Amino acid sequence: MTAHRNLGFVAAVATLLASAPLSAIFERWTWLLQSAVAVAAVAGAAALARLVRAPLWGQVLGMLAGLLLALTWLFPGGTGLAALVPTPATFDHFGALLNASVEDMRSYGVKVPDTDPLLFIAVLGIGSVAVMVDLLAVGLRRPALAGLPMLAVYSVPVAIYVDSVPAVPFVVGAAGYLWLLVTDNIDRVRRFGRRFTGEGRDVDVWEASPLAAAGRRLAVVGVALAIAVPLAVPGMSGGLLNQLSSGAGNGTGGFGQGGAPGRIDLFASLSGQLNQSQVTDFVKVTTNEEEPFYLRYGVADQLSPEGFSVRSPSGRPVTQDLPDPSQGVRPGVEQRQYRATVEVTRNLTMPLLPTYAEPVRTEDLSGNWLYDRNLQVLFSNRENSRGKSYTFDYVRSTYTPAVLREAAPLPAENELRRRYTITPPVREVEQLVTELIQGARTEYDKVRAIYDHFSAENGFSYRLSTEGGTSGQDVVDFLENKVGFCQQYAAAMAWLVRAAGIPARVAFGFTNGSDREGNTYTLTNRNLHAWTEVYFDRIGWVPFDATPTYGVQGWNRSEWAPDTDAPEPTTPGAETPVTPDDPGASAPANQPDQLEEDVDPGFDPAGGAPIDEAPRWPWWTLAVLAVLALLAVPALRRWSLRRRRGRRVAVPVPAPRVDSDADPAAGARPVVVGVDVDQARAHAHAAWDELLDTLVDYRVRVDRTETPRATADRLAADALTGDESATAAVRLLGRAEERARYARDPLTGEDLPPALHTVRGALAGRADRRTRLTAAVLPPSVLLRWRTALAESSARVVTTSGRLRYHLLRWNPRRLIAGRAGR
Amino acid sequence: MTQQTWDEVGGLLPHDEFRTASEAIVTNIEQVIEGKTATVRLALAVLLAEGHLLIEDVPGVGKTKLAKALARSIDCSVRRIQFTPDLLPSDVTGVSVYNQETHDFEFRPGAVFANLVVGDEINRASPKTQSALLECMEERQVTVDGVTYQLQTPFMVIATQNPIEMEGTYPLPEAQRDRFTARIAMGYPGQAAELAMLDGHGATDPLQELRPVSDAATVRQLIAHVRQVHVADAVKQYAIDLVTATREAPELRLGASPRATLQLLRTARAVAALEGRDYVLPDDLQALAVPVMAHRIIPTADAQLARRTTDAIVSDLVHRLPLPHDRQRSPYDTRPSAGNGRPPYEPRRP
Repeated sequence: MTAHRNLGFVAAVATLLASAPLSAIFERWTWLLQSAVAVAAVAGAAALARLVRAPLWGQVLGMLAGLLLALTWLFPGGTGLAALVPTPATFDHFGALLNASVEDMRSYGVKVPDTDPLLFIAVLGIGSVAVMVDLLAVGLRRPALAGLPMLAVYSVPVAIYVDSVPAVPFVVGAAGYLWLLVTDNIDRVRRFGRRFTGEGRDVDVWEASPLAAAGRRLAVVGVALAIAVPLAVPGMSGGLLNQLSSGAGNGTGGFGQGGAPGRIDLFASLSGQLNQSQVTDFVKVTTNEEEPFYLRYGVADQLSPEGFSVRSPSGRPVTQDLPDPSQGVRPGVEQRQYRATVEVTRNLTMPLLPTYAEPVRTEDLSGNWLYDRNLQVLFSNRENSRGKSYTFDYVRSTYTPAVLREAAPLPAENELRRRYTITPPVREVEQLVTELIQGARTEYDKVRAIYDHFSAENGFSYRLSTEGGTSGQDVVDFLENKVGFCQQYAAAMAWLVRAAGIPARVAFGFTNGSDREGNTYTLTNRNLHAWTEVYFDRIGWVPFDATPTYGVQGWNRSEWAPDTDAPEPTTPGAETPVTPDDPGASAPANQPDQLEEDVDPGFDPAGGAPIDEAPRWPWWTLAVLAVLALLAVPALRRWSLRRRRGRRVAVPVPAPRVDSDADPAAGARPVVVGVDVDQARAHAHAAWDELLDTLVDYRVRVDRTETPRATADRLAADALTGDESATAAVRLLGRAEERARYARDPLTGEDLPPALHTVRGALAGRADRRTRLTAAVLPPSVLLRWRTALAESSARVVTTSGRLRYHLLRWNPRRLIAGRAGR
Repeated sequence: MTQQTWDEVGGLLPHDEFRTASEAIVTNIEQVIEGKTATVRLALAVLLAEGHLLIEDVPGVGKTKLAKALARSIDCSVRRIQFTPDLLPSDVTGVSVYNQETHDFEFRPGAVFANLVVGDEINRASPKTQSALLECMEERQVTVDGVTYQLQTPFMVIATQNPIEMEGTYPLPEAQRDRFTARIAMGYPGQAAELAMLDGHGATDPLQELRPVSDAATVRQLIAHVRQVHVADAVKQYAIDLVTATREAPELRLGASPRATLQLLRTARAVAALEGRDYVLPDDLQALAVPVMAHRIIPTADAQLARRTTDAIVSDLVHRLPLPHDRQRSPYDTRPSAGNGRPPYEPRRP
């Protein structure tokens, strides 16, 4: 029974873990809290049912009842008895929630806010999954099948995000599933009896079985593959890899990948794209309007101290009727309907579609595309603009200053006014606005006063290479420095207009560009633009472009918002306007244009040309020297070792007095006077070490099972045959080492360095040229020693980590649980 | 039966005296056994190491002759026992007989009451009789009827046995074999040695003409000298490594005993002294590993099936075992201390 309870608990937690992908949908974590309550209710009901030994159907009924109670408590609607027991009215409430959730699913883009209907359907879904997982894993003991309902949870975000879902929730979910499998299997094995290991000993209950190691590794590899393989598949770009790469490059201006129109930082992408040195075609648009105003795709209308930001759009499918802009419009506003066809190239990928304001009918677009009537943008939570081609009808409103002047201020309590005039208090801005709108009577005059402020007369100029922020401080800086580009002009004007109490927002889109063939405009990343839209009562959102015209290719100024720098208000001609300040405007778009002169040369790859021409040879020489120095390290090390040993060995040894002239080897013990025995020993060892290293260098076998005497004999017999002096020398070295190691008194009075020298010379003389070269340049003794040291340290690391692991295992939670269960 | 204690023997022999005395014995024996200097020296080394010698070889290669020559070269009491199937333990140890004159039981010492005991064809006696040697060989005493009699010093048993003929023989029990310090084989003589043998043995038996060149007192001095030979810690460690290797060898069912370690080192001392050194070398241990250990170990059934002799197994071990890190690391030695032999970490059983 304990095992069953454990399994039920694991099933519940695994269900919650498997619901992790939902985090990609909801803005907040309320759903998780409520789901946890529901799952806990289900698991508790199941445990209770098993406690009374209810049959399987009883367990299922119990779990469903638990889920129902949890839902009633979580979504009361004032209908349940004692807030827990459902009544028929409760079910009506649930039905209403379900219906509303369908509506919400349509209208909200991800990430969705916490609305009751959406939370209800999420909790209901996860609770049902919990019931099924418990049924399959605990009741039927088929935990592998429990993966299916878990997969159903995972498929929700997959269906919403076309390209990919973040990897982390997937890993979390997979971990939950694997845990369930493992728990079930351990339980199974335990029923079978003893657990085996490969080591021929019993495994404790808490201990991970070594035999299961292969399974664990397979699981890890499987999850890793499931994440890694999609990255390698070309058709599935836009997942983790793209997120990583776009996160790495600063301001390269990637748009959102699709699926989340609310998550794009339009400002960052705009300035990023404008700063691209490469010119990329984004959109080709054909319209029957003579001189269309800018193509438009996005709006930033939330203003905080950090600046303007984009909010999640919500709306209805474009296949349904779009709002009619002509309703409730003040007379005098001229409205004409046109038709335009847009082809988006494969270079532009975003969850928004560019249109002319305001579209009234679309063709070739599926129901996945939604229209936000407030923002007047086309967006999708599932698709993106890449390669899209579509046609739409739109109504173009043109205004005269007179009509605009008629517009009365919105009442202060007006919802729209409240929302769109939220302005963080910035003293400098407020002062400036008060100053500017002094004396302006109508709303339009106020706006014009602000609009006219951004003129060359007042010292404003265009430069792309400025910081693109729109926060309060950034706006103040811009108003002081008076240098910036479109997004600063647009944001600053919107901020000022808002400060004047008039609704305003920043719109994003394309200018008309410089590449026009008939009625077809080809728009590139250089034509991306931002401008201000101001709301007038019973007129709507009216565009104002405050950016100096010479900074904008294909600019378009209107009667109500004329070019402030022009001597007198003019309406642009039929041709794409070319001002004297903008000679590059008529140049082909793929030519580097005049804008680039304003751009900090640092970002331009062409600016790196002088570096290319700088002489390379010092670097090459340095590199070659470095490589040589690196190669020389072993030889230097060998040389220093030999020198050190040689110096030690060569320490002048006072002549020892040997009693009689007996051969020391014959057993006569020399009486040593004035010689440090330890030092003599050290000398012998140093000489012997040097001999062994020399042997290694000249590729003569060194045998660790051999005694010094045996080694000397072998050398005398093999490596040094026929060389009397070398043979004698090597025997002397062997004897010295042997006595240093094993005798009471070391050998003294013998000059070891010459013997060493002799042996070395003899060995070198017999070695072939290649061996000699290797011994000199890359002494094998040094390399071998380094290799051994490396192997030793790694072995030490392994040993230490093994010990650490063993100690950590003491605190293994499974051990603690097992200990508790055992009691 | 009074004898000197080791303290009474006195100090060390001077080197040259040791050389003279030991060389004299070796030369003397070599008059009888031609061309077997190493074997003769080993036999002498076993004597000086206070051990017992088992000579195992085919008939007719001079096992008994070596034993008798060694015995004759030293002027001390020598007894010879021909082990036969009907030999009784009391024949070996001695027996109490009733003396009618004194009306009392009187102990008649057996054959082991001598400095050198030559046991011929020891595996022909029954295990009962073989076991009579157990006490006297290890403890150098004989207990009969509850009375313990000390044996003389030096005391050495030189036993011979024939490995080929198995009929009517009783293999030595393990306990008995472990008491023999070394087992040596004579081996056939070289052609020159055999020719010299024909010449020498043709007319007279050289054994008869052998005169003692040493006596028990000298041998005791020699033994005392051997005891003073220096054994460095590294050499002791090497000896321990060697016996440990036999205990851990996968092809051995029974490894060498601690007694083997002791006797290995003692014999190594004697060999070193005979070679004129006052310190033991690992070379000595390597040379002695087979004679001292091979007869004590029992190979596994697999190894026996593979016809691996114990000699070959021990020899392999010696060639595989690295020398211990046998000294204080010299400050100029930067060689890493390769493999300290400890196995990698092994988790304890919970």
